[in-house]
Amino acid sequence: MATPAAARKTDEQVEQSLYARAEKIYPREVHGLYARLRVLGVLGLLGIYYIMPWLQWDGHQALLFDLPARKFHIFFITLWPQDFIYLAALLIIAGLTLFFVTALWGRIWCGYACPQTVWTEAFLWIERKIEGSRLQQQKLDAQPMNVRKFRIKATKQFLWLALAAWTGFTFVGYFTPVIELGQRLLAFELGPWETFWVVFYGFATYGNAGFMREQVCKYMCPYARFQSAMFDKDTLIVSYIPTRGEPRGARKRSVDPKEKGLGDCIDCTLCVQVCPTGIDIRNGLQYECIACSACIDACDDVMDKMGYDRGLIKYTTEDEMHGGKTHVIRARIIVYATILLGIMAIFAWSLFSRTPLGLDVIRDRNQLYRETNEGLIENVYILKVLNMDDVAHTFELKVSGIEGARLHMDMPEIRVDSGAVLELPVSLRVEEGALEARSTGIEFELAAKGDPALAVTEEARFLGPM
Amino acid sequence: MAEQGIPNIQKCIAVLWPSFLVAIVATGLFFSAFDPDDLYPFGNETGISRLGAYSIGFLAFWLVSAVSGVGTLYFAVTNCMRQKR
Repeated sequence: MATPAAARKTDEQVEQSLYARAEKIYPREVHGLYARLRVLGVLGLLGIYYIMPWLQWDGHQALLFDLPARKFHIFFITLWPQDFIYLAALLIIAGLTLFFVTALWGRIWCGYACPQTVWTEAFLWIERKIEGSRLQQQKLDAQPMNVRKFRIKATKQFLWLALAAWTGFTFVGYFTPVIELGQRLLAFELGPWETFWVVFYGFATYGNAGFMREQVCKYMCPYARFQSAMFDKDTLIVSYIPTRGEPRGARKRSVDPKEKGLGDCIDCTLCVQVCPTGIDIRNGLQYECIACSACIDACDDVMDKMGYDRGLIKYTTEDEMHGGKTHVIRARIIVYATILLGIMAIFAWSLFSRTPLGLDVIRDRNQLYRETNEGLIENVYILKVLNMDDVAHTFELKVSGIEGARLHMDMPEIRVDSGAVLELPVSLRVEEGALEARSTGIEFELAAKGDPALAVTEEARFLGPM
Repeated sequence: MAEQGIPNIQKCIAVLWPSFLVAIVATGLFFSAFDPDDLYPFGNETGISRLGAYSIGFLAFWLVSAVSGVGTLYFAVTNCMRQKR
């Protein structure tokens, strides 16, 4: 990864990169509609990432996966480890959304929203601010080391490391309260594991966005490998229109290409120079293409200068390229959308109708039943009460199923703090005459005082001598 | 030989990267079922915090799945070599 050896080899123009013997890619800066959209996406997503942990909601951090306290705050929802299913469902929804978006708009995720793209853009921006344009960067790297080069490289590395460290700190701030984390950081009192994760995530950011860049997309990203499975003839792709562009060739602006027998492509190679993955879009659809549309911006600019129509490279679909029309509504889209909406509806319904109260009834295994001095039949249970609400509650316990059953417990009241589990031993005594079978079904009903909606019932068995 | 065709760094990533992803999933599943504080039968005398226990658990899962990845890589490469011979 970011070894000094790798950095040295960068100076030799050609580097033995991780996967292939490849030239270092110096993406040329582009301006245009899609570049502006990407900057908007990058700024928006980075802004959300860095600011989100600092937002407060109802007296706690708005988004906090509080691992030390074993509860997740997501705005007005608090999830406990028992609610793991909701997080799993959320991941499934995210995955299906990606499928749906891919079928419709292709690799739009890769080009505008993937963290790899977003942080690479941020690191590229720093690189351009410090080292200058593509040409200046190439010239600098070709030079032998000197004071000026060292100063420039050191400044860039310092800024990269600072951004990476801040990123790592923010990451840990999602999992442990960020304000206290910041205070501990300023007092040099970070715990060993907090330090470990700040450094780990910071290093990952630095390595991925500073050095690995497009190689992550090409060689490590699972999505890049299977996204083509979601593609069909109506999926939006970035494509060069060969029928219009070929035969390509240089020409003067004043020359009529038709007279020379040329297409609209002037072979300026700007589309290749701006490509962050270093491919030539004119060779057709390639799996390396992350659909960032930098080549569209670059080519449109050239077309404007030449006085030709825009769109020699453009967002299009296979159907459209072959003279047909794009079918937005199609079986694949309907199927993905139906599954997605179905799961989202079930998820929302179950999340909002969930009772933040858990009751577990465990029978005392030591004896089936006991006869008391008064001649009553007694069964002993251990009740586990889990209060998943944000406030403490006092509960009322009732039992039903056997006429005249009397409930005894040692505690004067059932009070459970927010997020706490109470183990409550109770005994149930009935008159033998009330039992009709050896085993009778009963129900424990637990309800919060003053909040009848917060209630659960749990079935259990009562065993007797019959 | 086929083995020499794959750079070592590529082998490292092929083993460490998928096992990293698997370790995240395994850690999430494991620790949502078990609270580290309940895993010490005689009380927590080690002084390891929950965050520490999660981290050690994660690194252990990573190690285990990476070992499995090394096995997969070894068999894949040696089988490939045998077929080429």
